[in-house]
Amino acid sequence: MSLLTRIAMILSFLGHYPSYILAYIIETLIVIIFGTVVVAGMVYFFRKYMARVQMRIGPNRVGKFGVLQVMADGLKLIQKESIMPQGRDDLPYKVAPLLIFIALMMGFIFIPYGPLAWLGTLTVTHSDVSLVILFALIAIMPIGELLSGIVSNNKYAVLGSLRGVAKDISFEVPMMLSVLAIVMMASARGVSPLDINGVVQAQNIPFAILEPLGFFVFLISMAARASYSPFDMGESDSELVTGNTTEYSGLRFGMFYLGLFGTIFLGSLILSTLYLGGYNGPFESYVGFIWLLIKTLVVVVISLTIWLSMPRVRIDKFVTFGWKYLLPISFINLVITGFIILGGIS
Amino acid sequence: MESNLTNKYIELNMGPQHPSTHGVLRLKLTLDGETVKKVEPVIGYLHRNAEKICELDFYCDALIYFDRMDYVGAMNMELGYLEAAEKLLNIEPPERVKWIRVIMAELNRIASHLVWAGAFGLDLGMLTPFFYVFEEREKILNLFTEITGSRQETNYMSIGGVYQDFNDKIIFKIKEFLNEFPKKLDEVYNLFVKNDVFISRTKNIGILEPEVALSYGVTGPMLRASGIPYDVRKDEPYLVYDKINFTVPISKKKDVLARFIVRFEEMRQSVKIIQQALDKLPDGPFFNPKAKKSLMIRLRGEGDVYARTESTKGEFGVYIVGDGSVKPYRVHVRSPAFKNLSVLPYLSRDVLIADMVAISGSIDLVFGEVDR
Amino acid sequence: MAYEIKEEKSKDGRKVYRIDRDHLVELMNDLKKEGYDHLSLISAVDFRDRIEVVYHLEKSSDNFSMLVVKTETKDNHMPSVASIWESANWDEREQYDMMGVIFDGHPDLRRILLPEGWNGYPLRKDYDMSKVQYVNMDEEGNDYVSFDPGDGW
Repeated sequence: MSLLTRIAMILSFLGHYPSYILAYIIETLIVIIFGTVVVAGMVYFFRKYMARVQMRIGPNRVGKFGVLQVMADGLKLIQKESIMPQGRDDLPYKVAPLLIFIALMMGFIFIPYGPLAWLGTLTVTHSDVSLVILFALIAIMPIGELLSGIVSNNKYAVLGSLRGVAKDISFEVPMMLSVLAIVMMASARGVSPLDINGVVQAQNIPFAILEPLGFFVFLISMAARASYSPFDMGESDSELVTGNTTEYSGLRFGMFYLGLFGTIFLGSLILSTLYLGGYNGPFESYVGFIWLLIKTLVVVVISLTIWLSMPRVRIDKFVTFGWKYLLPISFINLVITGFIILGGIS
Repeated sequence: MESNLTNKYIELNMGPQHPSTHGVLRLKLTLDGETVKKVEPVIGYLHRNAEKICELDFYCDALIYFDRMDYVGAMNMELGYLEAAEKLLNIEPPERVKWIRVIMAELNRIASHLVWAGAFGLDLGMLTPFFYVFEEREKILNLFTEITGSRQETNYMSIGGVYQDFNDKIIFKIKEFLNEFPKKLDEVYNLFVKNDVFISRTKNIGILEPEVALSYGVTGPMLRASGIPYDVRKDEPYLVYDKINFTVPISKKKDVLARFIVRFEEMRQSVKIIQQALDKLPDGPFFNPKAKKSLMIRLRGEGDVYARTESTKGEFGVYIVGDGSVKPYRVHVRSPAFKNLSVLPYLSRDVLIADMVAISGSIDLVFGEVDR
Repeated sequence: MAYEIKEEKSKDGRKVYRIDRDHLVELMNDLKKEGYDHLSLISAVDFRDRIEVVYHLEKSSDNFSMLVVKTETKDNHMPSVASIWESANWDEREQYDMMGVIFDGHPDLRRILLPEGWNGYPLRKDYDMSKVQYVNMDEEGNDYVSFDPGDGW
């Protein structure tokens, strides 16, 4: 029994449909709160981890061990005056951060979180084509990036957003091709392949082992999309100040900032769902959510380590890498997957 | 009139407030997409006209304005001024002072190169090594605090002497630092050069041919990375550098990576120099009695003197003209970073913005010195 | 040689060539051919009745040994050597900025450290330091200099 049905049962005195609608709203709220808390926790964790790597202490003033630092920063961002540039295109300027933030938060809804003890399965909503919807949502985010850069009447922002979008598009294609291989694998096992839940159920053996090439391609593309430090040419701070977010301040900047960390977390979630077996654990589990969380955190730590140890890759070399190497590799991966399915090894 | 729409180039104004301009450099860029077509450095935002202020002060007072020129390598600035002023005023520092000055200048060279390495890493988007190099630099600055009472603008040397003598405790501490430092330096070095992305960002970028470098007046590690072994410490030894055994590292690769490697090799050489100097440090007075405090403002000089020293950025020259009064008639500073910056427009034609940032980072700019 | 050189020794023992202004470029060209390929510094010294311009040259093939060339001007004009050494470009701009020496034939003679439009040359002995000058920004974002403080101050 899922969390949704539980909430609906509690609200059943309202009648069938109203109770389910209300339950959806409540669970969506829960997920948004969950998402925000997780991302905030990740920011705290990142700062502490970064401090350890750099032989510093990190935040330690607000709250015990500085745990409330992120909250303080958030409050500061909300309080701050939002300084907006003259000559901006007002509506797109204001819509752009929302677009990124909402697309990100909606992404969290379609992830199958798996069961957690007596609460039942935590998945918010279930769709037969949730895989397609998820990647459609991810594809919205570059639009926000492009809009924010172009309408804010700043040359750094224009250059930054163009860079960011060039990078995003060149890694979108290999990423989708490697996902296609997964869909093939899943459909060969007789589950509904466009449903992420089906993909997870098909992974008795994680796909990362069956498709190491696809895993590699997806890992790099996801890192490129999440645009953390070595891949953050869009906002490379030593060249373009902060790229497309240069003219944003206050809460809107906060949305971009959360969007960055949120994308890292969402990317890690998707990676562990599609390739590392999702909520499947070594024991017949009714705590699948914990397994998912552990896998995700491992991926996050790997991402942060890459973040902290690499200088920024040059944009042209990185985009060339995407088109010249990653794309052929993802095609090869597709062919190999086809042979595996034909041979019936699965 | 040309319409804006048909103009294929973007004019971009980088600085004076910008994360990678090391202070207040302003670059007018002409971009074709991502490619830099033309760079025009605009400087002078930190201009204080120290040369004029020096003319208004006594010979001994002018020193503190030199501290504030290259504030990262202040000892070398003081040394450069004193080399000129002491020649002009006919005051010879005692032997012990010369060795002490060598030690301090080389310690400061290490500190300055470390700061450069950290800032260069930041230019390339590498945050972590910054903290590693600053920890080492902090140890040097702590030594400075103990010896001179101040961290950066030390005002330690004075005409014909130094402010305070070394004692055994200080010598022990410097030796202790030098024992540990090479290991830490290798660690930092490996953080950079064992990283493939770092190599791809620096190799074959910003190639500076030796003839061009000479014509533009480039000196210091930049010139040595282009293959010309010009080091004032070897070519026109001052203080006691002729009694010290060290090599001048050069590289034939001419690119940004070569400048990086040359600077790190220089730090290793500096360690060798300091170790020798500490071993050979003679006993004696730490100031010349002709220039003790009460006499200092009565020093008169006549004639003109040009003294070259090897500062952390390159050939630091001070030209002093005296007219026989207690104040210098004219002081002119050859600032190496100023000359090295003038080659930036040449180096950054038809490179990407990212490479231009790497090139300007490899020059080692300190704006107190460029703008004076 | 079509020019006369007076050879002296400076106080720190460097070789000094003294030459009149008209033959400077000729001499510099010859020196460049002789191997003096590194122009270390161009200084100008204001002696009230005349301005002495001093060139410090270095020879890279001979351990960067130094040669000093001195010349002087009474009407603030000097021939430019920017075509011989690239580094003379910024040096001459600096001397123009600070000392008001006009280098004829310089490709781009503008102020370099001070903003364009600054009144007077600060390193001249007769520069009036009691007058404060203010740098302000006009409507189009360009700097201008005036004795009037303006709104920004």
